[in-house]
Amino acid sequence: MFNLKKIKQNAPAVPILVWTGILVGIPLIYVVVLSFLSRDSLGNIVFEFTWENYKRIFDPVYLKVFYNSFLLAVLTGLITLLIGYPVAYFTANLEANRRSLAMGLIILPFWISSLLRVYGWIILLGNNGLINSLLLKFKIIDKPLTMMYNFGTVLVGTAYMLIPFMIVALYNSIDKLDRSLLEASYDLGASKWKTFFKITLPLTMPGIAGGFTLVFIPALGLFFISDLLGGGKNIFLGNLINAQIKGRNRPLAAAFSVGMIILVLLVLYIYTRITKNKKEGLFL
Amino acid sequence: MKAKPQRLRTFYLSLFFVLLYIPVLAVILYSFNQSPSTAQWTGFTLDWYRQLFRDRVIAEVFKISIVVAISTSILSALLGTAAAITTLQVTEGMEKKINTVMLLPLLVPEVALGVSLLLFFSALKLPFGYLTLILSHTLFCTPYVYIMVQLRLKEIDISVIEAAKDLGAGRWQIIKTIILPLVAPSILTASLLAVAISLDDVVISTYMAGPTSTTLPVHIFSMMRVGVTPKVNALCTLILVGTFFIIGFSQFISKKSKQREEFN
Amino acid sequence: MISTKIKKILVLTFCAVFFVFAFVGCGGKDNGNKQINLMTWGGDFIPREIINQFEEETGIKVNYKEVTSNEEMQSLLEANPDQYDLAVVTDYMVDILRQNGYLEKLDKGKIPNFANINPVYQGNYYDENDEYSIPYAVSISFLLVNPEGVAALGADPITSYKDLWQEELKDSIVLIDWSVEVIGLVLKSLGYEYNETDPVKVAEAKEKLFELKDNIVRFETNTPEDSLISGEAVAGFMYSNQAVKGQAADPKLQPVFPEEGMPIYIDCFVMSKDAPNKDNAYQFLNFLLEPEISAKISELTNFSNANKAAEEFLPEDFKNNPMLNFPDEVIKNTSFYIGVAEVYEEYEHIYSEFKMQF
Repeated sequence: MFNLKKIKQNAPAVPILVWTGILVGIPLIYVVVLSFLSRDSLGNIVFEFTWENYKRIFDPVYLKVFYNSFLLAVLTGLITLLIGYPVAYFTANLEANRRSLAMGLIILPFWISSLLRVYGWIILLGNNGLINSLLLKFKIIDKPLTMMYNFGTVLVGTAYMLIPFMIVALYNSIDKLDRSLLEASYDLGASKWKTFFKITLPLTMPGIAGGFTLVFIPALGLFFISDLLGGGKNIFLGNLINAQIKGRNRPLAAAFSVGMIILVLLVLYIYTRITKNKKEGLFL
Repeated sequence: MKAKPQRLRTFYLSLFFVLLYIPVLAVILYSFNQSPSTAQWTGFTLDWYRQLFRDRVIAEVFKISIVVAISTSILSALLGTAAAITTLQVTEGMEKKINTVMLLPLLVPEVALGVSLLLFFSALKLPFGYLTLILSHTLFCTPYVYIMVQLRLKEIDISVIEAAKDLGAGRWQIIKTIILPLVAPSILTASLLAVAISLDDVVISTYMAGPTSTTLPVHIFSMMRVGVTPKVNALCTLILVGTFFIIGFSQFISKKSKQREEFN
Repeated sequence: MISTKIKKILVLTFCAVFFVFAFVGCGGKDNGNKQINLMTWGGDFIPREIINQFEEETGIKVNYKEVTSNEEMQSLLEANPDQYDLAVVTDYMVDILRQNGYLEKLDKGKIPNFANINPVYQGNYYDENDEYSIPYAVSISFLLVNPEGVAALGADPITSYKDLWQEELKDSIVLIDWSVEVIGLVLKSLGYEYNETDPVKVAEAKEKLFELKDNIVRFETNTPEDSLISGEAVAGFMYSNQAVKGQAADPKLQPVFPEEGMPIYIDCFVMSKDAPNKDNAYQFLNFLLEPEISAKISELTNFSNANKAAEEFLPEDFKNNPMLNFPDEVIKNTSFYIGVAEVYEEYEHIYSEFKMQF
């Protein structure tokens, strides 16, 4: 049965759904279909249905890579949240004319090439990088510290790369808080911390969820940070997908991608289940 | 009583900004390095800046990237804001649908997006170049604007809107006087992010750029085979310095109007 | 009534979109027929200096589209074969494009300078009869070693792949980051061929690979020479152009051409079957094969030259540098990676498992 009122109510949403839906829906279908196909010795797609690609990724080694990527993405989300929340909070409490300046200055470094920003970290942390040179000069150490090429540096690099998304999301959520609520809380004798945990934090949950989503998803797929800062010794989903594309095995790359997409959906689903509060769940 | 938290705030924000800008300063420092390799510091030089100003290719790709980034940022700000405002009106089921669709561009791997858009736009016979670059960049930048604007629109006081309606305000009037002022800061920050995302996209831009156009990030990444030189550091240094000037200038301009806002 | 204002916004948005459409629609004008669309890696892979000279001499504009990989070039060329004239791709991609039917058979009559090409680089697996491709840049992979560093660690001098396994070289080796290359190196050290499919030999190589784990400080494809310059590694397996850069930055670094054999790569010019500006493209190819031009290119790019006639124009230090002008016995000891597709999934799996050990 057609509900005319409902159709009319929903009509304005149609253009945006069609625009994004078609342009992203096609690639998505392409990836899913591709993941069930095989390829010939030249790397051309062969239109023959197969489960082979999925059988390949259900392998202890590759599942471990899935786990590592998941870990990296979650830790990146947590680190950016822990560092970013106070930044967003304090920024939102600045005077009005300083707020947008601060936000501008936070986003500005991300206008320069990500490759160079990663090289910036190598210049800092490398064996004869700036930090080691300074420490050696002041005789604090007598031989260079090895700080590069491990999970930790990959984590630092990934968090650095994605933190603006977290901060901007949190800022937008904190900045619009009704300050009279906080005042009321103080007037009722609640301490600063209590007010924060009872009022500010719950009210900014959507911002936390949004920021986490915007950090978690890209963190799963990044690959050149682990190549450069991890010395290629840590592999993540992005690296596996990239390697299969380089070997022109696109169906297997597609299967890995589908696995990654399912992982994201799973996390978002669990998240909505846990919070059960529709207002807090951003998606699904 | 009030001084202590402010001191904490100043201390934390300063520390954060120092950490945020240290890698950037390293990039700037090495634009003055004689050696083309970041592995060693061999002495101070301005050679890379000289080379940069002589390089007509880098000027060309920079121009393309700036045009694409700014157009993308404007378009995605319009689309993302429109989509977010639309959710105030539609049914809950429809809102969920929009939320999911807006998440998709983040989920689909870049290569898949690039290759399928390449085939799709080829089939449509669109000319590859600015058009395809801006369309595709807008596609993956819009969700960011949407999410940021949504965050501010959430828990908007519906009673205010209802009251405005009762007083005979039209839809456009409500949007203009109540909603837009509320979400303006998120539109601004999201647009700045959109510029950053657009200026950093390599994979999709490679497929979307035509035979006669290359964007700056593609130019930089495609140099890796032969070697990325500090000329690129020099360019990024100039971009940063230039933007600082623009920010400072706009800050100066907007100071008075902002101050007036404070009084209200 | 409800949606009229929303409609207004949408109308405005679409106006903006169409404005952009209109504004960019007229941007892509061609300047007649005097142009070529070229696609390959960026930077100075084909030096701009040379391109400028060609443009000045002929009045033909060269549109240089920069990409980051062979696979991207394949997708772009196969999607729009009528938009590109020339591309420079690596040997295996010549083979793929040729078999898929996207390449034009070159008319040698229009490239008189084709005769300059060294026969050593002709008739290879990807183009047995030299119908579709013109070799442009030749590179091989070998070891770049810091002999002082090796001695300081108390290890024996490195002369072959086998020496990389010495215990003293802990955390001191950098390798190109690709499964086929790394496993290829191990296979060669065992005296086998590249892309071995025999499960027994592959299993043996896997075991041997795992023994190398402690010695690797880093895997790096784009700037492995940096690890030797900075001193974090004393030996590295890398491409010749990178080794040249490494030695230029630190003269004590020396090449070692392992006796077990080395991989070779030849990047070749190919022409799209539906190339819109074929005659201009031939003119460009012929120009690049001029001995003097060709010599200049090698000098600028650090890639070895496939042009026999160019040799006399090469500077002395280029000719005497074994990393740029490969000695005959080195060339004889090289081979291509053939049949990657057959072994790829298996090698990638081994390689991933290997990396999970770190």
